[in-house]
Amino acid sequence: MALLVIRNLHATVDGKAILNGLDLTIDAGEVHAIMGPNGSGKSTLSYVLTGRDGYEVTEGEILFDGQDVIEMGPDERAREGVFLAFQYPVEIPGVTSMTFLRTAVNAVRTHRGEATFDPMDFVKYVRERAANLDITDDMLKRAVNVGFSGGEKKRMEMLQMAALEPRIAILDETDSGLDIDALKVVASGVNAMRSPERGMLLITHYQRLLDYIVPDHVHVLAQGRIVKSGDKSLALELEEKGYAEFLENAA
Amino acid sequence: MPDGSGHMQPYLAQALEASSRFAGAGIGWVDALRNAGAQRYADHGLPVRRDEYWRYTNLNPLRDEGFQLASAAVAIGLPPLPHSSVAGLASYRIVLVNGRVQPKLCALDGMTDGVLVSGLEDLLASAPERLEPYLGRVAPLADMPMAALNTAFLQDGMAIFVDADIVLDKPVHLISITVPGKGGMMVQPRHLVVMEEGAQATLIETHITTTGGSSFNNIVTELQLAENARLNHFVFQEVADTSVHLSGAAVALAAGADYNSFVLQSGAVIGRSEIRAYLNGPGVDCRLDGVYLATGKQVVDNTTYVEHAAPDCRSRQVYRGVLGGQARGVFQGKVHVVRDAQQTDGHQLSRALLLSPRAEMDARPELEIYADDVKCSHGATAGELDENALFYLLSRGVPRVMARRMLIEAFLSEAIAEIPLLPVAEDFSTHVRQWLGANVDQSTDGEGS
Repeated sequence: MALLVIRNLHATVDGKAILNGLDLTIDAGEVHAIMGPNGSGKSTLSYVLTGRDGYEVTEGEILFDGQDVIEMGPDERAREGVFLAFQYPVEIPGVTSMTFLRTAVNAVRTHRGEATFDPMDFVKYVRERAANLDITDDMLKRAVNVGFSGGEKKRMEMLQMAALEPRIAILDETDSGLDIDALKVVASGVNAMRSPERGMLLITHYQRLLDYIVPDHVHVLAQGRIVKSGDKSLALELEEKGYAEFLENAA
Repeated sequence: MPDGSGHMQPYLAQALEASSRFAGAGIGWVDALRNAGAQRYADHGLPVRRDEYWRYTNLNPLRDEGFQLASAAVAIGLPPLPHSSVAGLASYRIVLVNGRVQPKLCALDGMTDGVLVSGLEDLLASAPERLEPYLGRVAPLADMPMAALNTAFLQDGMAIFVDADIVLDKPVHLISITVPGKGGMMVQPRHLVVMEEGAQATLIETHITTTGGSSFNNIVTELQLAENARLNHFVFQEVADTSVHLSGAAVALAAGADYNSFVLQSGAVIGRSEIRAYLNGPGVDCRLDGVYLATGKQVVDNTTYVEHAAPDCRSRQVYRGVLGGQARGVFQGKVHVVRDAQQTDGHQLSRALLLSPRAEMDARPELEIYADDVKCSHGATAGELDENALFYLLSRGVPRVMARRMLIEAFLSEAIAEIPLLPVAEDFSTHVRQWLGANVDQSTDGEGS
């Protein structure tokens, strides 16, 4: 069974139609990339999939593991295994990264019927995953994302993904604001999470990220619909020609 | 003493009748002080909206004189305190029940030499000359109508004297318990803290009610810190939500004095903490912080007045609160800098979190500056939980109610983290968590989960 099936998805934000009949199927083990010009609905798609308030589905369905998730809240979807790496990770003063991670992981584990971590065991669990991402204990003691550099924030997103072990990961413009060294660290974090049980959806404007995380399928999003799909060569083609073709077609 | 319209102000007859029997009656200055309070109150009556410091808090529930002065102290044991860290802290304990000191419940043995902690009534009877230079000298009756009423009823409370250069080895813990009877009951405690040059102490106050029933607490505290004296002052106001709890503190600070106040308000149907600080000498450091929690139909008021009357002083005020249900929060703060108070550093911030669409915050931060070389700032915010932060937590699988509690606790913890005495900070945090557990659930959640 496909891990994620999106059928004829229409969605509005503040009454404005952003997604207009989007279809996409992701099987377990696959990495898909969605590329598209600014304003094509890329970020909206990530929020609709994760259930953010204010993003209203007006038609179509989103099946995760065969189950329609449209009526589920964002926290329920997350506990079912949906993860979003934010384009702009949010700062939360007064909550340490370690407490935040432990609360989230324990909520997910409770939902799965697994034992929760006590604080000592959790430190060990996190450190194992943090080491590969150059995340120090000091960062974990600080408030979530407060005072973090752009690269640190994105690495912290990767740590959250590694700790939560989602079944489908949506990465929204994960390369934005990163220099090449930071991009390599983040990409290796993503590649380490590739597995036959897990699906991934990379949302990106630029082809650069796909040099480091090689997708199985590439889709072009324009005017809220998938207008073209192909393999990784499509990304290179887009890099060369730009998105003009799709904008013209729509006009 | 009738007012202009020919009828007596509420509670005044009670005060005039009762005070003739209070300790100290017949001593000239004591009579004069009580009379001054009664006279001022007769002229003015209960505060109304046009009173500068009472714009947003209405005392109508008091107007029909539904409260009678508590007659005699009720004999009770010490109830379990709502906060365990402070309860476990070694301290000198002075206990008031219905506004009267209960010697049997106090623990004042082994007091540091040079320190007197006593009941006010005891001192009025045994050594009134000790009180005369200090009592009624700081709280301005003209600006504090409720202090005028309290002064008319002046009878008992706590008095602390710390001699020069004495460092009190343990905090003084004032436990003020109200035991409301069947009808409405009123208490009017009066406290005095006198710190001589270089003296240092910590005062913790716990205000609780043992049962439901309605009560009206009208507390006045006068504090005088001489040069380089230092006082850390923590207040837990956790009375029943059927009580009207009004507290007015006036603090006079001499050169180099250091006063840190931190007030938690979470009880009372109308809860008010008014602090007036007078920075009278150079080099004073004055900090007034507070956290409040209110829900249902509670009104919680924090009113401050900080007068920079001398150069080179620093004042900081940070008040943070959470309002649910139909609760209303009030913050009125004024920083007044006189012309000669150059190099003043004054900062004031009010931040409120509204958990429900029917909760309300009235904030009025004010700077009044006559000096030209000062650094002053003020600000007030009131808003809902940050939707971005909430979605971020939800997107990680944290259930909605837990996510809301985490964010609220984080918002308040930024204030609590400033508390310099760890057991007090712990109890503030514990209280916040318990309050959130009881008051932030699915029903306070706008959208469902």
